[in-house]
Amino acid sequence: MSVAIEYYVLLSMALFCIGLFGILTRRNALMFLMSVEIMLNAANINLIAFAFYHGNLTGQVFALFTMALAAAEVAVGLGIILVLYRNFRDVDVTVPTTMRW
Amino acid sequence: MAVFELPEWTALAPALILVATALLLFVFDSINPRTSNRSLLAGTSAIGSLTALGVAVWFMLAGVGTPSVDGGRGVVELFGGQFIVDQMALFFMVVVAVVTALVAVASYDYMEDHAYQAEYYSLVMLAATGMATMAAANSLVTIFIALELASLPSYALVSILKNNRGSVEAGLKYFLIGALSSAIFVYGVSLVYGATGHLQLDAIAENLEGAGEYGGLLGLGILMMIGGFAFKTASVPFHFWAPEAYEGAPAPISAFLSSASKAAGFVIAFRVFTTAFPIEATTAVIGIDWSLAFVILAIVTMTLGNFAAATQDNVKRMLAYSSIGHAGYALIGLAGLSADGGQLVMGAAMMHLLVYGFMNTGAFLFVALAEYWGVGRTFEDYNGLATQAPVACFALGIFMFSLAGIPPLGGFFSKYFLFVGAIEAGMLVVAAALVVNSALSLYYYARLVKAVWIEDPVADRGTLSQPTGLYAAIVFAAVLTVVALPVFGPIADAALDAAAVVIG
Repeated sequence: MSVAIEYYVLLSMALFCIGLFGILTRRNALMFLMSVEIMLNAANINLIAFAFYHGNLTGQVFALFTMALAAAEVAVGLGIILVLYRNFRDVDVTVPTTMRW
Repeated sequence: MAVFELPEWTALAPALILVATALLLFVFDSINPRTSNRSLLAGTSAIGSLTALGVAVWFMLAGVGTPSVDGGRGVVELFGGQFIVDQMALFFMVVVAVVTALVAVASYDYMEDHAYQAEYYSLVMLAATGMATMAAANSLVTIFIALELASLPSYALVSILKNNRGSVEAGLKYFLIGALSSAIFVYGVSLVYGATGHLQLDAIAENLEGAGEYGGLLGLGILMMIGGFAFKTASVPFHFWAPEAYEGAPAPISAFLSSASKAAGFVIAFRVFTTAFPIEATTAVIGIDWSLAFVILAIVTMTLGNFAAATQDNVKRMLAYSSIGHAGYALIGLAGLSADGGQLVMGAAMMHLLVYGFMNTGAFLFVALAEYWGVGRTFEDYNGLATQAPVACFALGIFMFSLAGIPPLGGFFSKYFLFVGAIEAGMLVVAAALVVNSALSLYYYARLVKAVWIEDPVADRGTLSQPTGLYAAIVFAAVLTVVALPVFGPIADAALDAAAVVIG
């Protein structure tokens, strides 16, 4: 093992923060979705790096599950964004304000 | 002894029955995609969830999940400890199955004109499967998968009225916050895995000491996982989706999310924090007692929910905030774990979630009935409904007074146990907050009862129809709320035993 575990954790935390920053600043629902994907992939980096570090495969297998679930989540999310566009003619998340936020 | 022994995997039968029902509904849909045979679809869902309910109750009575020393058949561990079927799992499967049955029956009328009937019911059954699986999940992997299985159909169900702007907006907000919180949750899981090297809950507990050098990572991971639970149970800090999602969603779905989904969120929180992070061992590693976090969250959640509910004009929104308040009451179950009286408060929280499942579902179904009539959404619009629909309004009175915790009703006993448990655990502040909040909640619950029974109608609304399904579901929920009284002893015993096994 050439790269120490700390660097993987730093990388994943950086990715997580980038994703979180995107969620807090972007108004486009698609960008929001991509930011969430970045955060999920940050968790995957952690899981795989730690699986290597601990020498068991649990983390790697869970990373596969996470990827599949992320794909399912995007499928549902895109469906919702599609009906959002049909109803509001926009994918800006601040536009729908039928109810008070 | 039984004549024959069922194989071990049948312990998951309630969840398996729910998923089989969902698949059966898909078969109906694939044979006739445009089917609008509502009786067949709603009937199948109701029978499926009632069967799951029956099996779960039968298992509880037969002693599945009770330790052998207490004369039971032992706790069933499946797939190398990934699933565990104990009394707590069965108890929450009962809650989920009851609510699902009520929602399926009520949807018969509510979703009358909807174009996608079979999809609607199969999504409900899939979400119910996820919630039942959450009750039995015993590893962070299965917990996460079950959580997503419950969440993804819920996002679609909230926005299922796709030409209704409110429903789409609610679905969008629910989805965005849900996706964010599941990302935070899975990151927390990855940090816990990094610190301990395991994802199975018992294995995490065994390896906590070895995590000494990664105490910070473990603490951060636990904090992020609390965020995930807070989303699922609609408690602070991830509560703000709840009023929007419940208000915009079809009312039966609001009932489903606020009762079954919340109970399922609590069961994983109970399981994770009792099994994987026992207080002494965890405190030794991360340096802070995590039950302190739940003390703060419980007080903030119940206060915020009740104060916000008191200021609402919209009935559905009031119920949404009141459901946040009730999440705060149930959080006491986790807050009190540190003391010796831990199993009393956790048992009380489980009782509260069961009784809450009946009364809150009933209250939301009354809103569904009002939406079906088209009488409007505010308190004023509900004025004088009792003269036209006395039966439903009487049931509403039962739900409201039970939610407020008026003595002869089920809601009072579960709150009483929570109160006693909080005092025994030495949490006087929490107990005081519980009493003050309950008193406050009486104000807005009684306001609805007053509007319905005492005020005169603002406008003439003509005759109101009596939809069979909605009425049946409301009356059934009211009967369950009342029947919870004479059988409260056994319910309390079951909940306390279940809590004792988990904490034990």
